[in-house]
Amino acid sequence: MQKSYPKLVTSTALCLWLVVSQSSAARADIRIGSLSALTGPAADLVKQVFAAEQAAIDEINSAGGILGQQATLISADTACNAQVGVDAANKLVNVEQVAAIVGGTCSGETIPAASNVAGPAGVLMVSPVSTSPEITKLDDKGVLFRVVPSDNFQGIYMARMLLSKGITKVALTYVNNDYGVGLAEAFRTAYLAGGGTIAGDSVHEDKKESYRAELATLAGGGAQTLVLFAIGDSSGLTIMRQSLESGLFEKFAVADGMKVSALLDGIGAENLEGRIIGSVPTAAVGPQSDRFKELYGHTDKFTFGYTFTAQGYDAAMITALAIEKAGSTDRRAILNAVRDVANAPGEVVGPGDWAKAVQLIKAGKDINYSGAAGDHEFDENGDIEGVFAEWTVKSGEVVVSPAVALGR
Amino acid sequence: MDQLLVFINAYLVPGIVSGSIYALGAIGLTLLFGVLRFTHFAHGDVMTAGAYFALTAIGLFGLHPVLALPIAMVCTSALCLCINHFFYRPLMRRPSLVLTISSFGIALMIRASIQLLYGVESHYYVRGIQRSTDFLGTFRIVDRHIWIVCCAIVLMVALHLLLTYTRLGKAMRAVSDSPELARLTGISTLAIVKATWVIGGSLAAVAGVFLGWDGFIQANMGWDLLLPMSAAAILGGLGRPYGAMVGGLVIGLAEELSSYPWFGGDALLSPGYKTGVAFTIMVAMLIWRPNGLFGGRVQ
Repeated sequence: MQKSYPKLVTSTALCLWLVVSQSSAARADIRIGSLSALTGPAADLVKQVFAAEQAAIDEINSAGGILGQQATLISADTACNAQVGVDAANKLVNVEQVAAIVGGTCSGETIPAASNVAGPAGVLMVSPVSTSPEITKLDDKGVLFRVVPSDNFQGIYMARMLLSKGITKVALTYVNNDYGVGLAEAFRTAYLAGGGTIAGDSVHEDKKESYRAELATLAGGGAQTLVLFAIGDSSGLTIMRQSLESGLFEKFAVADGMKVSALLDGIGAENLEGRIIGSVPTAAVGPQSDRFKELYGHTDKFTFGYTFTAQGYDAAMITALAIEKAGSTDRRAILNAVRDVANAPGEVVGPGDWAKAVQLIKAGKDINYSGAAGDHEFDENGDIEGVFAEWTVKSGEVVVSPAVALGR
Repeated sequence: MDQLLVFINAYLVPGIVSGSIYALGAIGLTLLFGVLRFTHFAHGDVMTAGAYFALTAIGLFGLHPVLALPIAMVCTSALCLCINHFFYRPLMRRPSLVLTISSFGIALMIRASIQLLYGVESHYYVRGIQRSTDFLGTFRIVDRHIWIVCCAIVLMVALHLLLTYTRLGKAMRAVSDSPELARLTGISTLAIVKATWVIGGSLAAVAGVFLGWDGFIQANMGWDLLLPMSAAAILGGLGRPYGAMVGGLVIGLAEELSSYPWFGGDALLSPGYKTGVAFTIMVAMLIWRPNGLFGGRVQ
């Protein structure tokens, strides 16, 4: 061991030199990080979101790039897990030296990544997926923005949706993470205030084999409908399957996390027919979303219309515009430019308008990015107002109703 | 009466099913520890590999999951033998810590390969849902749970016969008791190591297939089960296959039954803390009875 010590030092030094030289060689490009749960329970959904982010970066590169340079999107996997998420954010911020970050995805990874890594380093994060209400009050030193509405709004929307359908007694179960707990709190408050009764209310742990014990307790309350806040290719799927199999619940009310293709494939659309209603933050309908559909409705870059893909595209666009506006990859300048490019006033630019936006910025004009998923007017917490839609399964397919705006 | 039915259908049966799965995994873990003297942290991912082998077989030939079991067992055993030949054997003379750490590496390699080949999405053996069958007009049990428990019992009995009545089984126990003495009496340690991998790998494959059949198949599924499996192995005493069988069932039942409302209204322990039950049992065992219930190899 004593003898090999100098050798070890030499080889470590060599490795370090290689790493350093590699990264400085690649630093000619504009480097943007993508903090995404590419593996783990949300992988199905996040894969599509990441593809949409990549599509935006590709579009920017073919329209001249950011600050005249090619942009690269560097992904770091968070596995939808707080600890892995912090490691991934550290890697992006300190090793890859990215200018800004698109992401995170799962709220449970976004919160610690923003408060422990990106916040202290002053690196912009624009999340396309994280909906937890916790994020609003988070001490992130102003680095975290999101292009999805807080679950405070989604919880209220769901409560109103159920009450308007005359469903006044439900059982509630939610996954034990920032997403599930936040959504459940917002829903519980709004539903009880609206005159509903919650008969059975329990949290559940993700990734278990059996939820029959939880379900039996919940069904004991006598409710017909189960409100299920979980992710559709993980505990959400298992719970739905086991309650149908054992005949404990036949009707489900769910949120955005369940609108994934794995749920329909796994349970079978025929078994969900008329049994499920859900809410989903959705894209506002307008000229910008039409333009987005025109650009990406018929490509194979990502599944068009998949949950949060429009938001993924917008998050990448806003990040890129902020860098362009900042005029350099200085992290503080980028952070200060976000509201300039995304909020009114200013000339409206949208999907497919990269070249135009760059010209306007160069001419010193103020721009207002209005994206595929909505206007994205950030408030002082980096939050936006919400647009929601109701979805259900009819004749083997997911049917989404027209959107309803719900704001502060 | 009604309460009793809920207890059996929603707590006891799922507990026995997950207990059987833990037991099958823990047996492999404990056998490998007995013969090789290191904790095989890749065992969960070996399970996952077994589940994906079965997935491939079911996808190709449209088999019933039970019929895919032999294919998964053979393929997983082959995988284990390869891993042993290329990774663990060259490290065999090193301290067991080196082997333990390298098994972490193997775990990552298996998982990453699966993610590369099959993607990160969840997969299923059977689409749709299986309504439960009524037994005696009261018990409602899903067919696959009967399959899982029966297959687990058959395999455990087979293992018992093998360990007790065959030369191979006796040799395995001899090596597990004292490798030096076994070598002196002319037992080929190498052959025993290989046999252990085949048995451990096959049982892990079965556990993986059952786990995937009861839920869904994902690249992280086995890794997530490593904690309860280790707890089961430690509970039964590392190196003791019979201990692992009992340990698996105890952990499975403890997890499910801990959330039963034993004292009226509320669940005894919020179901959100189920995972903690296995962990608590493991820590408590390590503190007070590190040898396990039946006296293990760790002194």
